[in-house]
Amino acid sequence: MPTFFNSWLPFIYLYVGGGIFFIAGLILIRKTKALDMRLKRHRFWWKVLIFGYFYFMAIHAFLIIAALYL
Amino acid sequence: MEQIHNIGTQLDWAVLVIYMITMLLFGSYFAKYNKDTNDFFFGGRRFSWWLIAMSIVATGISSHSFIKYSAMGFKYGFSSSMSYMNDWFFVPLFMFGWLPIIIYSRIRSIPEYFERRFSPFARFLVTVLQLLYLIGYVGIGFLTMGKAIMPLMPEYFSFFGYQIHVTLMGLIWVTAAITGIYITFGGQTAVIFTDLVQGTMLLVAGLLVFFLGISYVGGWDSFWNLLPKSWKLPFAGFNEPAEFNSVGTFWEDAIAGSVGFLFMNMGLIMRFMATKSVHEGRKAAAANVLFMLPISAIVVGGGGWVAKAISVMNPSIIPPDINPDSVFIVVSNILTGPGVFGFVVAAIAAALMSTVSTLVNAASAIYVNDVDRPIRIWLKKLSRDKHLPEKKAMLVARISTVGLTLLGVLAVYAFVSYPTVYQAHAFFHATLTPPLMVAIFFGAFWKKFTPAGLITTVIGGISLMLLGNRFPYELIRPIAHGTPYDPVHPYTYMSALYNLIVCVSLAVLTTVFRRQLKKLSDIIIDSKKHFIMYPIIGFTVIVVVVDILVAVLKLETFSLELLLTSTILASFFVALISTHYIKYDAERQTQGLTIWSINKAMEMYKGKKVNEREGEVVKVHWKLIKDDNDDVVNFSERDMHKMAAEVGDLVYISDARKYLGGLKSVHSVYGEPHNEDGIVYIRKRHLEHGLFVDGRILIAEKEM
Repeated sequence: MPTFFNSWLPFIYLYVGGGIFFIAGLILIRKTKALDMRLKRHRFWWKVLIFGYFYFMAIHAFLIIAALYL
Repeated sequence: MEQIHNIGTQLDWAVLVIYMITMLLFGSYFAKYNKDTNDFFFGGRRFSWWLIAMSIVATGISSHSFIKYSAMGFKYGFSSSMSYMNDWFFVPLFMFGWLPIIIYSRIRSIPEYFERRFSPFARFLVTVLQLLYLIGYVGIGFLTMGKAIMPLMPEYFSFFGYQIHVTLMGLIWVTAAITGIYITFGGQTAVIFTDLVQGTMLLVAGLLVFFLGISYVGGWDSFWNLLPKSWKLPFAGFNEPAEFNSVGTFWEDAIAGSVGFLFMNMGLIMRFMATKSVHEGRKAAAANVLFMLPISAIVVGGGGWVAKAISVMNPSIIPPDINPDSVFIVVSNILTGPGVFGFVVAAIAAALMSTVSTLVNAASAIYVNDVDRPIRIWLKKLSRDKHLPEKKAMLVARISTVGLTLLGVLAVYAFVSYPTVYQAHAFFHATLTPPLMVAIFFGAFWKKFTPAGLITTVIGGISLMLLGNRFPYELIRPIAHGTPYDPVHPYTYMSALYNLIVCVSLAVLTTVFRRQLKKLSDIIIDSKKHFIMYPIIGFTVIVVVVDILVAVLKLETFSLELLLTSTILASFFVALISTHYIKYDAERQTQGLTIWSINKAMEMYKGKKVNEREGEVVKVHWKLIKDDNDDVVNFSERDMHKMAAEVGDLVYISDARKYLGGLKSVHSVYGEPHNEDGIVYIRKRHLEHGLFVDGRILIAEKEM
């Protein structure tokens, strides 16, 4: 059985490390009004951006579980 | 490792040749859409998101992916897909920062942005880095192409009794000659449309090999159970082995590589510049990262995965010690029959060509805009407010593509010593991306970032990176997260983190202390002791040259302590020299060029206040006004109301046939309305650029 060091740690490292860059990006585009929540199109994109992060996280989590237990 | 030769049949060769010729003819058909260099480089800025997304797939996959990811997939498993599933982190900043900035500022190249934002010297530095980046990428493309075609070739050709041995570099030179001809006559429109076909064929070829492989080993359950558990994980080991680990891939690929690909790959940027609007560019980016990349991960890695399963099932068919860079070709040959194998190799080879053509096209755009033009202005052969005549500009573009193709082949020699293409590519990313990445990021997202910050990042940063390259054990090991030290290629991946740290540190320090640097510069100006700058410049130049020599020639003349101290001091001097000599108007040079003034950028693009009201798309018939050629089109009052448009707003008109992807389309401005509903009056210029067909319905939508 692969250890935590080689299974879940890379997952945590990727989504915490990458998450810092991602959240900083989200804050910046809101703060600068580059993404303007008054516009319908921009509200759509806001949801897509957040969805994308959890979408990849879910795929990776599923693949780890499949590798370890299926 | 076993080197494979002579696989495939004559039928495969015939398919390969027919496919190449078809692609060349198909591409050249679209050359008629190249009216000027804007069309040649940016495809007239008219295309739909799906066409661009597909083109990005063909460009992204083809250069090196089949070979390197199949190799890593064979050796390490599903974790070879890591690089295709970690690109989302910077998408917000790309979609709402860099993409609108490059579109609305109407730049023709990334270095041009740096001149407007900082100074001509900044443009010069970024031009050098961009050309190195693109030429290096072309080199990687050629190396891959050589490795892909090599297994098909015999060990030697007999020619009138002489034996000509087939070598990798010989093959690359021949491939480069063929590609060079293709690139010289292709334009962006041709590249985008050939990419559409090639992208589709790539996906089909990759998925075909994967699914045939699963069937070959007895179905999904059999495939799954043949593979070792650790091999099925989606991530490599955290910090080992040295040649492929998660933490290294995170810094080299998820951080430096993703930014490199999205933000500073001029070939990719030119694709986004070819979209009809920023909104369409966002759709292309999202579709590509969310859907196309996960599919692409299977397409490029699948060959290696099924090869592993076959190797476990029957090592006599695929030996475990096979050369990993040959795995995809070998497994494709096993799984497909004569002719189909030719199709698989043709799809890969032609698509590799499309990637190289994209990159050379991009490098050529940079050469025309950022090397040739400034030199002509400097030599006073061209005034600053004028452009080279289109015919001459096209000639320069074509000649430069030939020269850049040759440089691309020479770049192969820098990468050929690496055991796999994957490592060669990783080293390349880790080395060239950080200074450009910091320059673009801080330039676009931090309005306080000054020319001194940028120049110090590039010159000081590269000097410190060279020291890291020369003394990896001392400088990179402390931050290497325990990844093993490989004396031949030390810290191929973790050098990206070290390089990022030194570049970011210099950028931040120079920007934070910008007032103190200005004061110091003012003191020198007030005391009228300008001569003091000369020894400072001399010292700085000597230190940078010594750093280059120490890294390139592996000199042991100077101690690390001395080199490090003198390089940090030289970096401070670079900041002072830049502050002293470069004229910079922070207010003017950030307006519309950073994320903090995107709305201003939109106003500047439009030339008046932006109309944000959201309207509908309308269908109209067109009529031509022959006696005036202004850049305005006239709709009925009711149609303008539907589109929520006002006179002076920007409009995009396109042939209603969606499958054309905007090929027949044009951008213009709303003129005074009339009262004939469902009719748009266009001018001769719109007909020439849009190539509208008589009687065909058009669709129109307000841009802003």
